[in-house]
Amino acid sequence: MGKGWCLFFLFWPVAAVVSCAMAPFVGWSFPYDNAQAASNLGIRIDDLFYIILIVTAIVFVGTQAVLVYALWRGANNREERATNVHGNHKLELIWSIIPGAILLFLAIYQMNIWADFRIKKYYPEAAVKDPLAEVTARQFEWRFRYPAIGKKLQQKPQPDDLYSVNELHVPFGKPVMIQLRSDDVQHSFFLPALRIKQDALPGLQIPVWFEANKPGTYDLVCAELCGWGHYKMKAHVIVQSEDEYQAYLKNLTQKQFYDGLGKIAAKETGTESEAVE
Amino acid sequence: MRFGFRRLILLSLIPLISFTGCEQPQVKFVFSQKTNELIPEAAKPVKEALVRQFGNPFELTQFEGLPTDFGDVQGTVKSVESSGKDQPLIRFQATGLENAYDKLLGLPLEWTSGKGQGHISRIKEYDFETGTIAVEKSPEIDPQSGDTFLVECVRLQFGRDLYNRHCMHCHGMSGEGTGPTSRYLNPPPRDFRLGIYKYTSTKPTSKAQEADLARTVKEGIAGTYMPSFKLLTDDEVSAIVNYVIWLSIRGETEKKLVDELFLDYSETALAERTSEDGGETREEVLEELKEYMELDFPDTLEFATSSVAEAWEEANLEDAIVTPQTPRVADTPESRERGRKLYLSQKTKCASCHGPQGRGNGTATQDFWTNPATNEKYSERGLHDIWGNLLPPRNLHRGIYRGGRRPIDTYRRLYSGIKGTPMPAFGGSLTDEELWDMVNYVMSLPYDGNR
Repeated sequence: MGKGWCLFFLFWPVAAVVSCAMAPFVGWSFPYDNAQAASNLGIRIDDLFYIILIVTAIVFVGTQAVLVYALWRGANNREERATNVHGNHKLELIWSIIPGAILLFLAIYQMNIWADFRIKKYYPEAAVKDPLAEVTARQFEWRFRYPAIGKKLQQKPQPDDLYSVNELHVPFGKPVMIQLRSDDVQHSFFLPALRIKQDALPGLQIPVWFEANKPGTYDLVCAELCGWGHYKMKAHVIVQSEDEYQAYLKNLTQKQFYDGLGKIAAKETGTESEAVE
Repeated sequence: MRFGFRRLILLSLIPLISFTGCEQPQVKFVFSQKTNELIPEAAKPVKEALVRQFGNPFELTQFEGLPTDFGDVQGTVKSVESSGKDQPLIRFQATGLENAYDKLLGLPLEWTSGKGQGHISRIKEYDFETGTIAVEKSPEIDPQSGDTFLVECVRLQFGRDLYNRHCMHCHGMSGEGTGPTSRYLNPPPRDFRLGIYKYTSTKPTSKAQEADLARTVKEGIAGTYMPSFKLLTDDEVSAIVNYVIWLSIRGETEKKLVDELFLDYSETALAERTSEDGGETREEVLEELKEYMELDFPDTLEFATSSVAEAWEEANLEDAIVTPQTPRVADTPESRERGRKLYLSQKTKCASCHGPQGRGNGTATQDFWTNPATNEKYSERGLHDIWGNLLPPRNLHRGIYRGGRRPIDTYRRLYSGIKGTPMPAFGGSLTDEELWDMVNYVMSLPYDGNR
């Protein structure tokens, strides 16, 4: 083994640490607003990620350092002959117990977040009682069904339900829940800015909750390769204040029950012929 | 070497195999099947005329009077960058192109003032950010600041690029509905070349409004593979619609030309005419064709293009739109009941296709229908659309509204029918109140339990 190999193995931990440190400044980090999630749960998930990153970084840098040291010593010492060692009980115990303890710590540490995210018992009560909308994924778009203003979302479509496509409006500052479905194949409801990702499966209705903490327009994409037009399956989640959200629903109601004569707000109907009527 | 040549060859085959799996659609405008069934002497001038009038996917052309926006952009030279003697290009900064499409590269630029007036330069470089254009140097062209020029075809090209990115793989390069994905889709993607669109806001005989097509692009068509393209900007949608209409006009023009020739000059017609019963010789037929081409074909072409263009223009007029005279009748049980009676009546005959309970299983679905184009019976039972596809009548209980779920959408489906399908127009035969009663009934069906 030459000293070149020492440099080679030294390069990787250095490159890893440098690239991680640089990431937030060159846009390699998490999306949106200084790499901070747009939901409170998302911020906790990010924290979890950073803890795992730090732990694995310490382990990686540590083991690489030992490796480089061993190589360096070997490369500088041509006299000493290598000896054959048949295991070391103490060492085996150390490198089993320490990683085991770390994994156990992570497993226990993340449980609360996981429970809050995925176990329905821990979902915010208000969100569960009054789901915001039904989200149906299909090749290659997202369709949304909201209950009529002042009503609750029913399992089956109702005559006064409101419909939209590729544009989900959500109020911020309060937890909301959607019922996720798929019409055809497996899709994935992915809100990178909110750190939400949930597969949509045909035949199942999966509740997903999230709480957006700041207004904005966020991407909703499909994260499951669902067919040839998968790349087209993009939508916007528009997070707005409660007032704006209610105004949107009102507008949607007017638009949806439009009979060709009544007046509707032109805002949502820029492309429609009715806007000029 | 243990790692022999055989392995090397196998390894190098991997990228080759992965590339050959990718099917590339052909980049050309195809001609219709009917055009290809003409005798070569008749097909040739038709094809040449189409290429002359519409160009090819790389180089689009448009003749005067089409209702589509070819896209002229007027620009003015702001400042000319000094260029050395041996530089082959003249670079200048231009204003007025701010809203132009960012791919002006390769387009012709016509000087409309200054020394080069009347001359045409081709754009060799274009920087969208700085508005810098480079054209080939020539003695006639010496741009000065303040000189004006015109760049053409910007809009149509923009629409073409967007269409090819988002629509082509289903609807095909020429809008013929047979893109690479189309064979996996049911219902099949629309063939634009008949110029007929199902879901419009216009009267039964009118074409679609631009706004109708824009709405279809933005909202998608529920229950079909047409997805929503809501994330495109309004400008992009309108460019796509512009191009789709242009493709339609191209297809319709082709159809009109071929229809004129088909009865006399298709391969089958020629065989018949030169058979013993026909008693003509091939030379006689060709002589007649030659005469037609010289005397009548230019007029036919002129008429074909202008009538198509006119129809599209008229569709965008205010009075082409279907507007009810009375507001929606209140959605009461009584109104629905009146609607149900109408639905079952002989006056509308809705039940014969959609079934007595609206489940899409009327008796008409069991008949052998006649193809209006060929006057022959279809080989399958059931209703067909004008594109030749089997078309089951809609099950009205499913709550899927392809043309939109607003009351006005259902009203318009009833008023104008669904173009290109056997769904008839009731606009003349039913009063507004009756139409609204029917709307109320039809829209209540998905929610009426399991009747």
